[in-house]
Amino acid sequence: MARKGTLAVISACGIALGLFSLQVARSDPSYSFAGTSAAAGLAFLVAGWALIACGVGFTLVRPASRFGPLLAASGGAWFVSEWGNPGSGSAVVFTIGLCLSSACPPLAGHAVLAFPAGTVSGWAERATLAAAYAGGVLMVGVLPALLVDPSAAGCNDCPQNLVALADRGRLADDVTRVGVYFGFAWSAALALLMLARVGRARAARTVLLAGSGYTAVVAAMFAASFDRGFLWNGTLERRLWWAEAVLLVAVASSVAWSWLRARRARSTVARLVVELAESPPPGGLRDVLAGIAGDPRLTIAYPLADSARLVDAEGRNVDPTPGVTRTTLVQNGRPVAVLEHARGALADEQLLQEVSAAAQLAIENERLQAEVRSRLDELRASRSRIVEAGDAERKRLERDLHDGAQQRLVGLSLSLRLARTRLGSPDALDEADAELRGAIADLRELAHGIFPVALADEGLAAALEALAEDARVAVRLVDVPEDRYAPGVESAAYAVAAEVARSATSVVEVRAEQINGKLVVNVRTRSPDGLDVVALEDRVGALDGRLLVSRDVGDETTIRAELPCA
Amino acid sequence: MRVVIADDETLLREGLARLLADAGVDVVGTAGTAEELLRRVALTRPDLAIVDIRMPPTHTDEGLVAAQEIRRSHPSVGVLILSHYVESRYAMRLLEENDERSGYLLKERVSDVAVLLDALQRIDEGECVVDPTIVSRLVRKPRDHGPLDELTDRELEVLGLMAEGHSNDGICRKLVLSPKTVETHVRHILLKLGIGETGEYHRRVLAVLAYLRGR
Repeated sequence: MARKGTLAVISACGIALGLFSLQVARSDPSYSFAGTSAAAGLAFLVAGWALIACGVGFTLVRPASRFGPLLAASGGAWFVSEWGNPGSGSAVVFTIGLCLSSACPPLAGHAVLAFPAGTVSGWAERATLAAAYAGGVLMVGVLPALLVDPSAAGCNDCPQNLVALADRGRLADDVTRVGVYFGFAWSAALALLMLARVGRARAARTVLLAGSGYTAVVAAMFAASFDRGFLWNGTLERRLWWAEAVLLVAVASSVAWSWLRARRARSTVARLVVELAESPPPGGLRDVLAGIAGDPRLTIAYPLADSARLVDAEGRNVDPTPGVTRTTLVQNGRPVAVLEHARGALADEQLLQEVSAAAQLAIENERLQAEVRSRLDELRASRSRIVEAGDAERKRLERDLHDGAQQRLVGLSLSLRLARTRLGSPDALDEADAELRGAIADLRELAHGIFPVALADEGLAAALEALAEDARVAVRLVDVPEDRYAPGVESAAYAVAAEVARSATSVVEVRAEQINGKLVVNVRTRSPDGLDVVALEDRVGALDGRLLVSRDVGDETTIRAELPCA
Repeated sequence: MRVVIADDETLLREGLARLLADAGVDVVGTAGTAEELLRRVALTRPDLAIVDIRMPPTHTDEGLVAAQEIRRSHPSVGVLILSHYVESRYAMRLLEENDERSGYLLKERVSDVAVLLDALQRIDEGECVVDPTIVSRLVRKPRDHGPLDELTDRELEVLGLMAEGHSNDGICRKLVLSPKTVETHVRHILLKLGIGETGEYHRRVLAVLAYLRGR
């Protein structure tokens, strides 16, 4: 409350300061910018009050930041710049006016560069600001004031300069002249620095642009005074002064706008918390955060609890994008989310903290869901790998039996045959030959049962036809597409039909069709005996498919497998 | 009869060559790959090529592809495919892709000289040959009640021989029946199964096989 009281007092002082300064400016319009017309006076008040009001308002919201006081101070300095008017008749006012005639640009530049945190980082910024203070306050203000008293130097209307220590008019002129040159240098440097930072800090973009414009006009003002060697209110200068006033208003209003935007973001976060508490949609958090940060391409990833991996809301692995700014949200000393975003999109430290705090539950919720999804995906992948490995192994076995063992036996049978023709076919050899043929036939059936060769070579339809030839019961095939599918899908579909055919006691009907990116296999039979549903569920589940078993009237059983095949 | 033998297994290839030579067949060349086979065929112009279905490089259906190529570019050369696969699909594919003078036997027949020679003989005479084991599996295959149940045992026997690729004359010899009786059986069978009478031999084999396969 004490702070609010102080701020109220400061606001009141600001209003009074503006009115008083305008009074001073109007006391002798020939020495003044603001005092030349009613419009100029109004612009003078609006610019100064806007800066003070925004400074005070900002301090209300973020008391820890030095930006608010700096901005308010620059508003004050803007008013004081008119105090060097001899018409005020007050020695105190006149002296302050002499010393602080150009204090506004360094203060305003400092404020803009420090937006919004209140601190200035980087040696270039610090050095330029130091130069600006030295140039703006000392060289064209305090130093000449110390060296000469205008009233003694021939200005009969001028009040007394209370800080004049010596009477060195020539030196004062030289210092001022150098100050003007130097003034151009530091104000131009400030303008360029701000322009350069526009690209880096998105959130502060408009503030920086307005500030850069303002300091550029200040530089022009100094440049206009090169010939003269001191600042004066000529025609060109008056126009430039108008531009300064307008741009200072722009600085103030862009600060206000960014504050309004942040407030809107905060209310979005608040709404988000309510929404997410009701029904959390995966990815919903990302959309909201993207809106708050003003970066539609913002992504959010969650660190898994027990590994270094990052996953998105769907649980898919996410690799850090090189060259993209990352911000880690930390809760209780533990990273809970990693945001990738455009540089500067989340530069507002306080907003970030508020988002992080407000969305704490939502983030934790989504992170846990992402973790579960990721685990499920891993599980599914490993299940699918196991099934694939099993299929590959059976296929290899089938090949080995056909191309290895069976081929050898056929060769042996051939040799035996040759021997028989040579030896005149003794009974023992005939018997061996018969045995051998039996073995070959057995082996063929065995190999065939291990893995249907038609499945790999020609696909599901061919394999099902082969199944229909082998099965103990009639297998009727209806509309089985001749298309090829992924090996896993084909072998799962085949496995369903084969398992039903194995356990069937009566006619089996196999129907297959592709619906919406899924191969749907319907196998129907009456009262199957010992159908291994679990094994089939495993196979189908490994492909992220669904297995449905339903019993109709009359013991008609339908096994439906839906296998994603897109 | 002049034959070329293609099989990537040397033992089998050479054994088969000797066996056939012993039986009086003139083996004019052997090959280990499909390309070599095609070269041998072009070079020696045999009456017949005996081809393993699985050959390098993929060991799947190179034999069938080579058979088609041979029948296309050398129509006078017959082809006998040897295969481990008892599924009728491959035999059906062979017969569909090639008009006649082609046959499909299970590989283990190589030691059964009588069956082998009979098949070679029939192919050389312009017939098709389908392995008896494959046909009997098709005939015995469980199926819904239908026209097949209406056939007498004799008719089933005749049907099987038709599916194996025997002509009416062949069936007469096999079953020791008069040509008239066989013709009557054949007509009854086709009528009962609803297969349109076709004078053309190759079409009849395909139609009967397709009926038995249920497609």
